[in-house]
Amino acid sequence: MAYSFPEEVLEHVFSFISSEKDRNAVSLVCKSWYEMERWCRRRIFVGNCYAVNPKIMIRRFPEVKSIELKGKPHFADFNLVPEGWGGYVYPWIVEIARGYPCLEEIRLKRMVVTDESLELISKSFKNFKVLVLSSCEGFSTDGLAAIAANCRNLRVLELRECEVEDLSGHWLSHFPDSCTSLESLNIACLLSEVSFSALERLVARSPNLKTLRLNRNVPLEKLSTLLQLAPQLVEFGTGVYSAEIRSDVYASLTEAFSGCKNLKGLSGFWEVIPAYLPAFYSVCSRLTTLNLSYATAQSPELTKIVSQCHNLQRLLVLDYIEDTGLNALALSCKDLQELRVFPSDPFVADANVLLTEQGLVSVSEGCPKLQSVLYFCRQMSNSALITIANNRPNLTCFRLCILEPRAPDYVTFEPLDAGFGAIVENCKQLRRLSMSGLLTDRVFEHIGTHGKKLDMLSVAFAGESDLGLHHVLSGCDSLRKLEIRDCPFGDKALLANASKLETMRSLWMSSCGVSFGACKLLGEKMPGLNVEVIDERENLDSLHESCPVEKLYIYRTVAGQRFDMPDFVRTMGKDGGGGVPIKC
Amino acid sequence: MELELSLSPPYQKTPSIINKSFHGGDDDRCSSTVTRFPRVSWNQDEDDDNNKRFFNGEYQQDMDGDGEGLIGWPPLHSWRKRFMEENHSGGEGFNGRVDEEGENINVMNNNYNELLFVKVKMDGVGIARKIDLNAIHSYQMLTSTLIHMFHKYVENDEDGASYKLMYQHKDGHWLLAGDIPWEYDVHSDSTTYTNGKKVMLMDHL
Repeated sequence: MAYSFPEEVLEHVFSFISSEKDRNAVSLVCKSWYEMERWCRRRIFVGNCYAVNPKIMIRRFPEVKSIELKGKPHFADFNLVPEGWGGYVYPWIVEIARGYPCLEEIRLKRMVVTDESLELISKSFKNFKVLVLSSCEGFSTDGLAAIAANCRNLRVLELRECEVEDLSGHWLSHFPDSCTSLESLNIACLLSEVSFSALERLVARSPNLKTLRLNRNVPLEKLSTLLQLAPQLVEFGTGVYSAEIRSDVYASLTEAFSGCKNLKGLSGFWEVIPAYLPAFYSVCSRLTTLNLSYATAQSPELTKIVSQCHNLQRLLVLDYIEDTGLNALALSCKDLQELRVFPSDPFVADANVLLTEQGLVSVSEGCPKLQSVLYFCRQMSNSALITIANNRPNLTCFRLCILEPRAPDYVTFEPLDAGFGAIVENCKQLRRLSMSGLLTDRVFEHIGTHGKKLDMLSVAFAGESDLGLHHVLSGCDSLRKLEIRDCPFGDKALLANASKLETMRSLWMSSCGVSFGACKLLGEKMPGLNVEVIDERENLDSLHESCPVEKLYIYRTVAGQRFDMPDFVRTMGKDGGGGVPIKC
Repeated sequence: MELELSLSPPYQKTPSIINKSFHGGDDDRCSSTVTRFPRVSWNQDEDDDNNKRFFNGEYQQDMDGDGEGLIGWPPLHSWRKRFMEENHSGGEGFNGRVDEEGENINVMNNNYNELLFVKVKMDGVGIARKIDLNAIHSYQMLTSTLIHMFHKYVENDEDGASYKLMYQHKDGHWLLAGDIPWEYDVHSDSTTYTNGKKVMLMDHL
C-alpha cells in the first residue's frame, strides 16, 4: 500500500505496546498488521492452559521470550478441585522447548509441574532467566537442583505457595560458583532446611540480588549475616522471627536492618517474639509493602509497627491487629492502597480477637487511596458496607469473607443485599468482588445492573433461584471469571445465557443444582466451550439426566476437548456422547 | 446429633516459649498444652433421626469427609491453611499467660481450672463454637448448652429436655454420660476432652 508506513516503522511503534489487550487489538486492524504484530510479540499470557494448544501458539507467535500459563481454576486454592483433575505443564514444556529455544521467562500458576518438566526447562533454553511458580505442585527439590545447576544466567527463582516435596536442602548448592546473576530468590514455601552455608555463599556472590525471601527454617540469629552480605536488598522475607533473647543478636540484627537503605518490602515473620520486633523499626518509614500475615504478634505490637510505616501502600496482616490497630493504620498510612486481613482462628465461630466491621470502616475513611480489600471477619452490617462504599468509590477489588456461611446483618438480621449493592453501585471501577453472608437474589440484581466493569465474581452460599444467576450473566458486560459454590442455581439461567459463556474465560459451579442433562445439552450446543463435569461420587457413565452434578467447569477453548482427564471428569457433548476420556 | 469436643485456647497468645525450663516436656501434665484438633470421620448414626443435614435438600453440600466441616471454607489458600493447622497442633502450649519482664519472658503455668474452653464441632456444620466447661456444672447443663448452640442446624427444636448425652469411650462404644460425676470427668487427667471427645445427643433411648 502506497500510503502505509514501512514495516520497520510500524514494528518500532508496536514495540511500545506491551499489554496483551492492546496487542490483540493491533492484530485485528488488518492482515499486514496481524502479520507484523505476530512476529514481534515477545510476551504471551495464557489464562487457561486448556483454552489453546501450544502448537497453535508457536505457529502464530514464533519469537516469544516470555510465557505465562495458568492451569487449574481459582477454587483449586481451596481444595475444591480434586487431585488429578489436570493442569499438567509437561506437554507445554515439550512444545515450547522445540519452538522457543531462546525463551527467557516462564511463569506458571496452579499447574502440576514435575521434576521432569523442570529438568527439561533447565536444559532447553540457553538464555533462561526467570522462573516463577505460584500455587504449583508436583515437583521436588531435585527439580530445583536441576534449575540451579543448568540455568547459567538465572535471574529470578520464585516459589510462591507451592507444594514442594522436600528431598534435600542441598539443592541450593547446585548453583555453580560462576552463577552471579541472581536478582530474586523466593523459597518461603519450602518446608525443610536449606544449607545455610550454600545460601550464604550464593547471596555473597549475587551483587544484583534485590529480593530474598527465606523459609521458616532460617534462624533469626543468621538474618544479620545475610542482610550484611546484601544491604542492597529491596524486598526481604525473614524466616522464623523468634529466638532466645540475646542482646548481641538483637544489636546486630538492628544494625543489619538499618544498613539496608533500599528496603521497601518485608515479609516472613513466622512465629514472632515481640522483643525482636523493634530491630526493624528503622526501616518502617521506607516500607511500601509489609506482609505480617503469618506473624503471631498481638495488637499492641502490630499497632506500633504500622504507626511508623507512613509510606505503606500494601499491608497483609492477621486479625490480631484488631480494630484498634486498623484505626492506627487509618491515621498513619495515608498512601495505603491494599489491605488484606486474614483470620487467626478461622474454624471457630466465636471471636478470639476484637476485630469487627469497624476496623474496615475506619480504614475506608482514613485511607483515600484504598483500592483493594480482602477482609475476613465475623460480623458485618449493611450500614457498614454502605459507609465503606460511600467512603471509597475508588475501590477496584472488594473481597469480604464473613466466616459463618449465610450470616445476616448482625444488627438488623436482614440479608446483606443492600450493603453489597451499595458497593457495586458506588464503586464504578470495581473489577473484582467476592461476597459472603446472607444474600438473596436482590444482590445479584444490583450486580447485574451496576457491575459493568466487573471482571471476576466469587459467590458462596448465596441466592434463592436461577434469577440470581441470570442477573449476573445477562447484566455484567465485562465478566470473564465467575465462580460459584453452594448456591441454588440450576439449569435455566445457564442454558438461557449459554452464549455469554463464550465471552468469558471460565465458569465454575460446585454444589449447585445444575443437572447432568443440562450439561450434556450445553456441551452439545456450544462447540466453542468445554463443559467439564467433575464428579467423584458417581460413576459418570450411569449418571441420570436429572441428577445434579457435583462440580461443573466450563471454559471457552479453541483447542477442543482435552485428553488428559481422570475418570471422574467428562467433557460433555463432544464426540456425540459424554466425551469418554482416553486414559494416558 | 453428634458433636466433637476438644480443648481450645480462649485467646491466642504468642505461641513460642523462650524459657525452656517452663516447658517441662511432653510428660508434664501441669504445663500448658494445646492439643491438636483431630479430624473425625463422619460417623452418622442411623438410629438418630434428629441428625439432620442443615442444607436445602435440592442441592448438595461439599462436605469434608474428615468431618471438619465444609471443604474450602473459609476460603483460605491451602498452603496457608496447612501452615495454620500445623501451628495449632504444635507441641508448644500457650494456655498460660505470658508476661514480659524486661529481657525475660516467663510463662506461668496454666491454672487448669481457670481456662477450660472447649471447641465444639458438629458434623456438617462449617464452623465450630466454643464453650467454657468451667461454667458448666452438670451433664444436663452441658446438654442444654449444646442443644441451644446448635439448634438451628437441627430440625427438631424441642427445648432439649428429653435429650440425653452420650459419649464415645476410647474403645469405641457409646456410653451414657453420668456414670462419672461431672466434676471428676471434666477435670480428670484421663479425660478425653483434651483429645477430641465425641459426644452425641440422642432423644430416643
